[in-house]
Amino acid sequence: MSAPNPYLDDLSKGIIKENPVFRMLLGMCPVLGVTGYFINGLGMGLAATAVLIASNVVIAALKNFIPPQVRIPCFIVVIATFVTIIEMVLQAFQPVLYEALGVFVPLIVVNCVILGRAEAFASKKPVLRALVDGVGVGLGFTLALGILALVREVAGQGTIMGPDPESAILLFGQGFQPMGLFGQPPGAFIALGLLLGLTNVIFKKFNI
Amino acid sequence: MREVMRLSITLAVVAIVSAALLTGVHNVTEPVIREREQQEYLEALERFFPALDDFETEEINGDQFDLVYDQDGEKLGVMAAVQTQGYEGTITYNLAVDAEAEIIGILVVSHSETPGIGDVITTDNFQEQFIGKSFEDPLEAGEDVDTVSGATISTEAMIGSIRRTVTTIGENFLGKERQAFGLEDLTDGVYRGSVEGTYGDLVVEVEFRDGRIQAIEVIEQNETEAYFMEVYPEIPEKIIEEQELAVDVQSGATLSAERIVAAVRNALEGAPEGEGGDN
Repeated sequence: MSAPNPYLDDLSKGIIKENPVFRMLLGMCPVLGVTGYFINGLGMGLAATAVLIASNVVIAALKNFIPPQVRIPCFIVVIATFVTIIEMVLQAFQPVLYEALGVFVPLIVVNCVILGRAEAFASKKPVLRALVDGVGVGLGFTLALGILALVREVAGQGTIMGPDPESAILLFGQGFQPMGLFGQPPGAFIALGLLLGLTNVIFKKFNI
Repeated sequence: MREVMRLSITLAVVAIVSAALLTGVHNVTEPVIREREQQEYLEALERFFPALDDFETEEINGDQFDLVYDQDGEKLGVMAAVQTQGYEGTITYNLAVDAEAEIIGILVVSHSETPGIGDVITTDNFQEQFIGKSFEDPLEAGEDVDTVSGATISTEAMIGSIRRTVTTIGENFLGKERQAFGLEDLTDGVYRGSVEGTYGDLVVEVEFRDGRIQAIEVIEQNETEAYFMEVYPEIPEKIIEEQELAVDVQSGATLSAERIVAAVRNALEGAPEGEGGDN
C-alpha cells in the first residue's frame, strides 16, 4: 500500500464517508425542498457546489488575514457574495432553473454544509486541500440530492427529466397513476428516511 | 482599541471587496435579465393578441399599460404589467383585456408566495375563472370569482388587483364608465349591510335621510388592525362628503377600504331596517 494521498482522501470522504446528507445530515432544507424533480435536485446540488468550492478557496486563502473574533461574519459575507453571484448568473442564463429553485437559491447562504466546511476545514487547511474538499463535499451533496430527487420524481410523478414536458420521459406509460405524496413536502421526509435507512445498511455492510 | 480597529477594518475590507464584486456581476447580468424579461413580455403580448401590429405604452400610478393595435390601427385591447402586494412579497403579472374590456389572459411573471399554497395564483385552475369576465362584472371574491381556501390572502390580493386593473383600463383606455350608484330613489331609514372579509364579516349601518347619506357606522369588523385604522373613519367620511360610493381608495390598505365601500353598497342595495322587507 502506498502512503495515503491526502487529496484523494479529502475528495472521497466528502462523497461517501462524510457525505453531508447521508452521514452528517447537514443542509436539509434544500434537500427536502427542491428534490421534487431530478433536474431541480441536480441544479441545486451544482449551485451549492459552486458556492462551496469558491467560498472554501477564498476562506482558505484569507485564513491568515481574518482575525478569529470576526471569522463568522467574514465567512458569511464571503458565502453570501458567491450565492448572490450564482443567483444573478442563474437568473440571467438559466431562467428556468432559477424559477424552479426559487427561494432556495438565496437560502444557500444559510446552508450549514457551506459554513460547516468553512469553519471546520477551509479555515485551517491550505488552499488546494480546501479546493479538493469543496469539490468532494459538493459532489457528495449533489449526489445525495440527485438520488433523492430521482426517487421522488419516479415515485411522485412517474417521470424522469421533468417537469418540462419536452424533456420529460414517462416511465410507466400514460395510464400510470403516480404516488402524489412523494411529490409533496411530506413525501420528501419519507423518501429521505427510507434512503437514510438504506445507506446505513449499505455502510454497515461494507464497514465504511 | 487597536484590536477593535483591526477587526472593523478587516470586516469593512471584506464587505467592500464583496460589494465591488457584486456590482461587477450585476452590471454583466442585469442587461441580459432585462432583455429576456422584455422578450417574454413581447411574447406574451403576441400570444394574447395574435393580430398585434403596433403598441403604445402608457403609465398610470406606476403600472405599465400597453395599448395594442392591429394593422389597420384598430384597437385590439390593452395589456397591463401590474405589481401588487401578495402574502409574502410583490406579485408581478400581466393582464390582457380586449377592446370590450373582457379579460383574455393572465400571466404571473414573478411572485414569492408560499410554494404549494399561495402559488395557486399561477395555476390555470385559478386563472381560468377570470377569462371572459369583463369591466361590467363585479369581479368580487365569493360573487363571480372564488378565492382558494388555504391561500385566501394570495388569491384575494390577485382578485382585488385584477378588478382594479380592469377598472383602470376600462375607464382610461376603453371609454367605459362605472354606473354611479343612484341615491335618488332611496327611502329614508337606517340600512345595514355586510361583506365577507379575510378573517370575518364587516358589517356597517348607514343612515340615509333627506336624500343624503348622513352617517356610516362600522358595527363589526375583523380586519387587520393596522390596515383598518388607516381607512377608518377616513373612507366613511369621504363617502358622506362626496355622497357617492366611487371614492378613491388609494392607500396601503386597499382591501379594507374596498370592503367598507362594498358593505355600504350592500347596505343601500337592501331595504332600510325596521321598515320590513329585508328578508
